Amino acid sequence: MDDLNERAARNRKIRHAVSIVILIVLFICFIFPFILVLVNVFKTKADITSDPLALVGAHGFTLQNFPEAMKKMDFWRSFGNSAFITILSTILTILLASMAAYVIVRNKWKACGALFGMMIASMVIPFQVLMIPLVSLYGGVFGILNHRATLIFMHVGFSVSMATFMFHGAIHTNVPIALEEAGTIDGCSRWQIYWKIVFPLLKPTIATVAIIDAMAFWNDYLLPSLVLARKELYTIPIATQVFYGTYSTDIGLVMAALLLAMLPILILYMFLQRYIVEGVTSGAVK
Amino acid sequence: MKKKLLAMALVTAMSLSLVACGGGSDSGSGSAEGSGESAGGAESTGVSITIFNTKSEIQDQFVEMAEEYSAATGVDVEIYYSSDTVAAHLATRYSANDPYTISMVDAKDVYSLGAEHAIDLSDEEWVANTDYAISVDGKVMGFPVCIEARGVMYNATAIEAITGEEFKPENYDTLDAFQGLLDQLVAGGMEAPTGIMKEDWSMGAHYLAQVYEEQSDVEAFVTSLHEGSADLANNEKWNSLMDTFDVLMKYNYAAGSPVAAEREVSEQKLAEGEIAFMFGGNWDWSMINAYDYSEKMGMMPVPQNTSDGSNKKLVGGGSKYFIIDSSENTSAEQQQAAKDFLNWLVFDEAGNKFLTEDCALVPAYSNINADALDPLSISVKAYADGGNLIGNYDYLPDDHYSKNGASFQKYLAGQVDRAGLASEIESYWSSTTPVEH
Amino acid sequence: MDTSSMSFKCKQFLMFAGITTVTFVAVVILPFIYGLYLTFTSWDGVSRQKPFVGFANYVSTFADAAYWQALGRTFIYSIIAVVLVNVVAFILAFLVTSGVKGQNFFRAGFFIPNLIGGIVLGYIWKFVFNRAFVAIGESLSIGALSTSWLATTNGAMLCLIIVSVWQYAGYMMLIYVAGFMSVSADVLEAARIDGCTNMQSIIHISVPLMVSSFVQCLFLTITRCFMVYDVNLSLTNGEPFNSSVMAAMHVYNQAFTYKNYGTGQAEALILFIVCAVVGVLQVYIGKKAEVSA
Repeated sequence: MDDLNERAARNRKIRHAVSIVILIVLFICFIFPFILVLVNVFKTKADITSDPLALVGAHGFTLQNFPEAMKKMDFWRSFGNSAFITILSTILTILLASMAAYVIVRNKWKACGALFGMMIASMVIPFQVLMIPLVSLYGGVFGILNHRATLIFMHVGFSVSMATFMFHGAIHTNVPIALEEAGTIDGCSRWQIYWKIVFPLLKPTIATVAIIDAMAFWNDYLLPSLVLARKELYTIPIATQVFYGTYSTDIGLVMAALLLAMLPILILYMFLQRYIVEGVTSGAVK
Repeated sequence: MKKKLLAMALVTAMSLSLVACGGGSDSGSGSAEGSGESAGGAESTGVSITIFNTKSEIQDQFVEMAEEYSAATGVDVEIYYSSDTVAAHLATRYSANDPYTISMVDAKDVYSLGAEHAIDLSDEEWVANTDYAISVDGKVMGFPVCIEARGVMYNATAIEAITGEEFKPENYDTLDAFQGLLDQLVAGGMEAPTGIMKEDWSMGAHYLAQVYEEQSDVEAFVTSLHEGSADLANNEKWNSLMDTFDVLMKYNYAAGSPVAAEREVSEQKLAEGEIAFMFGGNWDWSMINAYDYSEKMGMMPVPQNTSDGSNKKLVGGGSKYFIIDSSENTSAEQQQAAKDFLNWLVFDEAGNKFLTEDCALVPAYSNINADALDPLSISVKAYADGGNLIGNYDYLPDDHYSKNGASFQKYLAGQVDRAGLASEIESYWSSTTPVEH
Repeated sequence: MDTSSMSFKCKQFLMFAGITTVTFVAVVILPFIYGLYLTFTSWDGVSRQKPFVGFANYVSTFADAAYWQALGRTFIYSIIAVVLVNVVAFILAFLVTSGVKGQNFFRAGFFIPNLIGGIVLGYIWKFVFNRAFVAIGESLSIGALSTSWLATTNGAMLCLIIVSVWQYAGYMMLIYVAGFMSVSADVLEAARIDGCTNMQSIIHISVPLMVSSFVQCLFLTITRCFMVYDVNLSLTNGEPFNSSVMAAMHVYNQAFTYKNYGTGQAEALILFIVCAVVGVLQVYIGKKAEVSA
């Protein structure tokens, strides 16, 4: 018996070791391209082209890419625009989507079914289909492009389907209907029940949607480039396009810009990491 | 646990809203600063124009010039650039009723956009000073920004280091002489003296187009391609240029896997003298100058065993055109300010300096001198001044470069032979509709 | 309060979903309908005239061999990529929930590729395939590695698949992690006591209980793969010889590079219908499996 236990323990240890080895190998594969960015951002363009693997280029270590990228993309102004748009869009998406999901889950009305059906279908529309019609309507007919508010409005419109989809699942599984019934007996209106009982229970999903949407808004290029055609309104991704030439790309600056733009999201991600994992958990369970 | 999450969320929300406020005020002050600047210089005229630049390599110079121009004239100039396809970007701007006052476009775009979107510039003074302006329906609409030409770029420093004598490109204008030199370079230690850009625009729009452009009657030849009566496989120019291409392929440093050659790497090799020749154009300088380039470089015509004189000429002409928007979204004052700007480029010393020195462009105007050009542009200017440019053919269909470039890539990779390539190109032409002009 | 009256329903719906509906319809549905109209015109994208041509664009869509080739290619790519993404994501999820040290660290690491997007991603991988692999192949004289994969038709496809797996596996891993966590430890413990090996308990217990994770992940990967554009553009740009042009890229070229906007729009619409059918079918089958499990 002892012998058996010992063997089992040894087996477990071996399995553990094998798992770790596999994980580390995979981890290196996954992280390798990112390390390349880190290595090359401190090199001149010539050195990046001639040997991207070298730790230090022939022209030596340089920090030049950072100030140059910051200057060319007017970093702080773009950063401010990006932050403003990302934060407002994310908050609005969460509020609107969770409310819509609530009414859809709790009622079997035709309007709910129609709205939800359209939202699901809209998740597979290639954006290229909407690009020109969108600017024709909002620029050509309504003339309201070139405002941050317009972009926020559109961000919410495009992301609300996916968010509703996620809140739909969460309300379905994680909000016991008995709690709501108790609220009704206590004399709460539906509106009060939603804000006092349902919304607080959705926190993990809120965290998930927040990080997914914030990341999407922060990095989005195509939609902002259509809506914001004035320099003073540029977000970070539009401001960096000047590094991409038709025939050549200034890769050192691109990488520096990438790192600078990534930092806030990376910090947010590190900060919320365990809540995201938990958030996805609750969102995925139906 | 829940409390912790709540606290965390609160802190995040607060810090984020702080950033948001910062962002708001930051952008506010940014625009205030902008308007203050233009008021600080010359008397502000209150007119502001936008310029869409499609040459990314001169974006910095453009932005700098705009500031100086605004200060000097009181006209506020903003420069925009987009990394998207030019046609796609302009399509969105037109759809949004928010066009640029001045847009920089390619020759073929002037023909497709001109009638509806550009104003008539026939009465402008600079028209008399250039051979390269583009007219649509008899009205001048395209202002040529510069001259660009195609040919074989060479690194004379690297060649001379092996041959030990001065490199005179005119001595190698036949394929036989050229190949002799290549053999000499190989014997001297340069294992593979040529490079080939595998990009579809280089092979489809530049090298293949040269087959049409060097015909004695280009229009008739293209028509015969459309009608299916052209016999490409037995065409003299086709075979002559393909013979040269075969030689470039034979000595290609990336011959083992030519379709994987990266343009950045090839340009670096040429700049630093690891290879000596590559087909390209003077726009390639914007890449070469990012590397430790050699002192003596230049451009020469594509060597061919021919007696029609085409091996003594580069192919090219006006490149990139300014058009001024004609819609009601652009006011008469803005259109006038835009015309003034074009005049400034051609007739003002500061404008000339911007074109030829800051941007190192080969001027398309007879009154502009240019002494501070890059080595490739010096070659181009010499050929242009001597009347030794074969003109561009501007009426190739929009999908020509992509589809035939793909066929050409197959040839480069050894997947089709010359006859196969010829028949692919012929079948492309017979299935496409002619471009009206 | 009469909760079944029409006015109550309307008020409730508007209160909770009113703004959402208006925003969604204004931003997505209206442009979509206008886009639908444009497929019946021969607009070139920049002209002021949008001549009505009826079904001509759909006729030329059916005649556009390159489009159907691209669509077929997209199918093949999607099938392989979807399977691989999910297999890798599942294995990763299993490993990072098996109780090894530093799971959180690994979870973060596998998620990071999501933060690198667009052109940089393509540039870095181009370098990896064109030069890092080739250098390794030459120094170790491995024939398969000594020329760039990007230079051959099948190789370019393989590269696209590898990058897709790299890009999406970490994201999908998070959803599978959630699935693993939802399987209660008691059930697994009971299975172990009954003498199940690890493998057996995964196949017979965890997988059936995780059907909803599979449905979600498959929906997300299928739709993303069918609409792949960014990576296609920055990694292969359709090369070699336009043999790696996927459907979305062909649509974009048709509309803007070849200036047949109407046809491009019609082709995009067909792509949308294909995506929707495949996505919905998959969700439907998944839901059935969930019920029967």
